[in-house]
Amino acid sequence: MHFFNVIRWIAWKDLLSELRSRENISSMFFFALIVILIFSFSFSLDPKTSKELMPGIIWIAFGFTGIIGLGKSFLAEVHNDCMEYFQIVPAPKGAIYLGKFVGNALFMLIVEIILFPMFILFFNLDVLEKIPMILLIFVAATIGLSALGTLFSALTVQIRAREVMFPILLLPLAVPIFIGAVEATRGVFSGDPLPLYLDWIKLLIVFDAIFMVVSFWVFEFILDY
Amino acid sequence: MAAIRGIELSKSFRHFQVLNRVSFEVKEGECYALFGPNGAGKTTLLRILATLHRPTSGRFEISGYDGLREKMKVRESFFLISHGSYLYDDLSVLENIRFAIGLRGGNPTHPEIKRALDRVGIGAFASLKSRHLSAGMKKRLSIAKAMLVRPKVLLLDEAYASLDERGVDMMNLYIREVTQEGTTVFITAHDRAKAAEVAQRAGVLNRGELRELAISELLTAHALF
Repeated sequence: MHFFNVIRWIAWKDLLSELRSRENISSMFFFALIVILIFSFSFSLDPKTSKELMPGIIWIAFGFTGIIGLGKSFLAEVHNDCMEYFQIVPAPKGAIYLGKFVGNALFMLIVEIILFPMFILFFNLDVLEKIPMILLIFVAATIGLSALGTLFSALTVQIRAREVMFPILLLPLAVPIFIGAVEATRGVFSGDPLPLYLDWIKLLIVFDAIFMVVSFWVFEFILDY
Repeated sequence: MAAIRGIELSKSFRHFQVLNRVSFEVKEGECYALFGPNGAGKTTLLRILATLHRPTSGRFEISGYDGLREKMKVRESFFLISHGSYLYDDLSVLENIRFAIGLRGGNPTHPEIKRALDRVGIGAFASLKSRHLSAGMKKRLSIAKAMLVRPKVLLLDEAYASLDERGVDMMNLYIREVTQEGTTVFITAHDRAKAAEVAQRAGVLNRGELRELAISELLTAHALF
């Protein structure tokens, strides 16, 4: 019970802090908005090309937006030595990781859900009836990115070159997530039958599970001696 | 029974030896005051006891639990008031307390929190965001947290730092009360006269060596180090 309470407390704290400061969400949102605007003015896409290119454009925006948000995830914990409190508090370190992960995944999903209608609007996407499947892909990819991002944010937060190190560590490992997300999104946009892109969704789920389990286990060694 | 026991504790940072086979015992319900010049290793010793630093050699016990092998049990036993306030700027005083105690598995009621805040003299600021608190108020808030946690062992780094005269008196009143209830208190301080009001035993840490002192010596000695 204490385990789940710790997750709830951490996620509650992160969401409440973000709701009040809006530091992360606003920087994530504006970055993604700029990406949408640049791409929408760079290409005038016909519907067929649009279906081919849009998955890549969407995941460039979401991926780099995620990097901005996730990279700052543990910065609030350094201020006033809060990270130290995580070390000495008699709470399972894995629960602390999961609490941070839940908060990060929710931030990313909120930004994605706000931004996706803008993609529809700017690129004339005709995907309204496919939204449940698109949401499923967003959730699956966001879980994987947040799982990795939360771990590497904790790992790099105390080092001087964290802004360089964070993407260097995150991006290579996040490649399967990006490939799975782009391919699955392309399948949905192209109107392919589910079996044709189901394997990509399965790939996302498998990597989600791997990243979650490994990060959960490794986090204790990052936080503790 | 010894509530805190350090056995041949040594700590080096690279080639600099901070602690050299330091051994000591603090009995249950006793207040032990540690003195020493800046850089003597007082905070290092306290951080070893708080499971934040691993000793280079030697071991320690808190409430009978081995500090290196039973960290979770040790962490359940003590509460640390340190230089860091462990506060989140965008949360109120009340929310910060709920969060900190919640992570330890506690769930104090609103009146309990209010009573603790009133006792430390910041009851009127319960709904204020912690970013607006002064250093002294943050210290008082840490004492309020300790009151709510009721730990078996209280570790106080620079016990009187940031506190005004009334704050120092309030701190000593609190130490007196909790030691009478059986809590063991380990403090590091510079104010000999104030520490002598509450401490039953004292020690001086200098050049990595710990020398035990009588309380009378604490008050009469011209120079401790």
